[in-house]
Amino acid sequence: MEQHNNEIVKFDNSPPTGIQVVLREFKKDKVAMLSFFGITLLIVVILVASMFLNQEEILKIKLLERFTEPGVNGYRLGADEAGRDMLGQLVIGAKNSILIAFAITIITSVAGIALGIIMGYYGGFIDNLFMRIIDFFITLPSLMIIIVFVTIIPKYGVLELILIISLFQWMSTARLVRSKALSEGKRDYVNASKTMGTSNLAIMFKGILPNLSSILIVEVTLNFAGNVGIETGLSFLGFGLPPSTPSLGTLVNYATNPLVLSTKWWVWLPASILILILMLGINYVGQALRRAADAKQRMG
Amino acid sequence: MCLHKADSGRNYADAKLIDKYNYFSDYLIKEGGDCLNTANDLLTIRNLTTSFRIKETYHAAVEDVSLSLKKNEVLAIVGESGCGKSTLATSIVGLYNTVNTKVTGEIFYNNQNLTQLNDEQFNSLRGNHIGFIFQDPLSALNPLMRIGEQIAEGLMYHTKLSKQQRQERVLELLNQVGITKPERVAKQFPHQLSGGMRQRVVIAIALSCKPSILIADEPTTALDVTIQAQILDLLKVLQSETETGIILITHDLGVVAEIADRVAVMYAGEVVEEAPVQELFTNAKHPYTRSLLNSIPQTHSENERLEVIQGMVPSLMNLPREGCRFSARIPWIDASAHERNPQLHEIAPGHFVRCTCWKHFHLEGEEGGGTV
Repeated sequence: MEQHNNEIVKFDNSPPTGIQVVLREFKKDKVAMLSFFGITLLIVVILVASMFLNQEEILKIKLLERFTEPGVNGYRLGADEAGRDMLGQLVIGAKNSILIAFAITIITSVAGIALGIIMGYYGGFIDNLFMRIIDFFITLPSLMIIIVFVTIIPKYGVLELILIISLFQWMSTARLVRSKALSEGKRDYVNASKTMGTSNLAIMFKGILPNLSSILIVEVTLNFAGNVGIETGLSFLGFGLPPSTPSLGTLVNYATNPLVLSTKWWVWLPASILILILMLGINYVGQALRRAADAKQRMG
Repeated sequence: MCLHKADSGRNYADAKLIDKYNYFSDYLIKEGGDCLNTANDLLTIRNLTTSFRIKETYHAAVEDVSLSLKKNEVLAIVGESGCGKSTLATSIVGLYNTVNTKVTGEIFYNNQNLTQLNDEQFNSLRGNHIGFIFQDPLSALNPLMRIGEQIAEGLMYHTKLSKQQRQERVLELLNQVGITKPERVAKQFPHQLSGGMRQRVVIAIALSCKPSILIADEPTTALDVTIQAQILDLLKVLQSETETGIILITHDLGVVAEIADRVAVMYAGEVVEEAPVQELFTNAKHPYTRSLLNSIPQTHSENERLEVIQGMVPSLMNLPREGCRFSARIPWIDASAHERNPQLHEIAPGHFVRCTCWKHFHLEGEEGGGTV
């Protein structure tokens, strides 16, 4: 037991590693700290609350309750032009937006990381081939193509939307991971692993991947914020989720009606503010993580 | 190389005769037979040429190298930077880039030609039968893996030990390479260790599966002198315990004198001299070897100037492919002294020298002709 205590004392002198660095960074950056707890709380509340809401009931059209003001008749955030509860729509919309962004982030990250590591590790022909494919995808006007896809696919819902957006979002991650894996793969420890008889697959995903983790966490966090933006943007334009499924974008879309925009602020303002808070918060957290990942930029 | 040894009692000044014997050995190999002398050779390298592709043409960094390693022997390979020592080592363990590198010739281990193996076959050999010690112990360790895991990695692939047994073996290895408190070190990360400890860990990793060949690529270069001595002692002790054949790559002749049994001197991708260590230090013949030995700093000499070899190793693309490759750096030696097509000549049992220029060589500033 005494030896155990000794160990702890020794480790205190060693430079901070992993989670300690992140914690210190967050302690220094109060905004990021606040954002982190705020965002976590917000997301948890939205996800939990949406489980208890009756979506059908909320989306039922009640023309008599049209444009009820906030606080009247139990509509805490008022009602839209079809008499639907804005608070309920906001929660469900936010849940949809967040889950879609989450799914897109996971799909694009997994694809991007796997592809990037393979490209960076093997190099040569594989690298060249996929880099040209990535170049091709990047030159495409992805927003236009997503819109085209959305209109030509006959029956599309949440899953299809996720897949379509993912198709155009994996390139930046793949490129980033590739460039890092390229330099990491030339390091001696990779060769050392090879001389131990480690298989390529194990080297790539057990050896190199953990060494990219710091940069990946940042990339994934910021991508998440970006994906919330893309989904809401598409929905705002009317090419995102079908009208039967509310999302933050469709709620903001109500503001395209001049009457709503000028006099019925409760219909569009809460959703806009929620998007703003989400994006800002996630970006602050991402920035703090980015600084933590790079020793030169650290504040803590 | 094998057949030179068979008749090492005789002296072949005649290159033709050696060619004849080379041809004979080639014939034997083609017939599926093996020359008798390779029986106790652990590793036999024959006519190995490793070329790198630079702008669509291949340039040989290691050319026509033939060497052999016996059980329980330390073979040192020395030469300046850029002589192809490390390329030779990476060719043996297949660490080269398959796209830009062409390897021809044969490397025999256990009747397997290493140059013909695919990745999977290589992986079953590497770590298990051939261990590799890297020059820079910090970069050779994965910064995000605990020491214990890194040592256990090879055991996991090559042995059927349980997790518990692996753990025990890791501690045993750490103990063996002279690390105190192995339990603690096994849980630490590379950055928490000192340079000497890291190199010990790298050696422990290389030894984990009890390989029969150990290739050490400048194992002491990144360390300070006291640690160097410790690491060399450690290698010596480990070798005497396990009867491993060690190929030691270094540019430090002090290290060679300390530990090697046999020395091959490489210059510009070729072996220019090969001899038992005693013979090499007392009776070096090739101009390059002599120049190298001459440039070792002498503590007792009055001469304060450090002797150097003129010029530098030509870069891969400017390497002279014909004639004696060292001739450009000993311009005071008459061109006629060099062979047109330098061959290795056995001038004493087990002592091979390339080219004939050594007969007429004298160090710059020295008077007179050769030392024959």
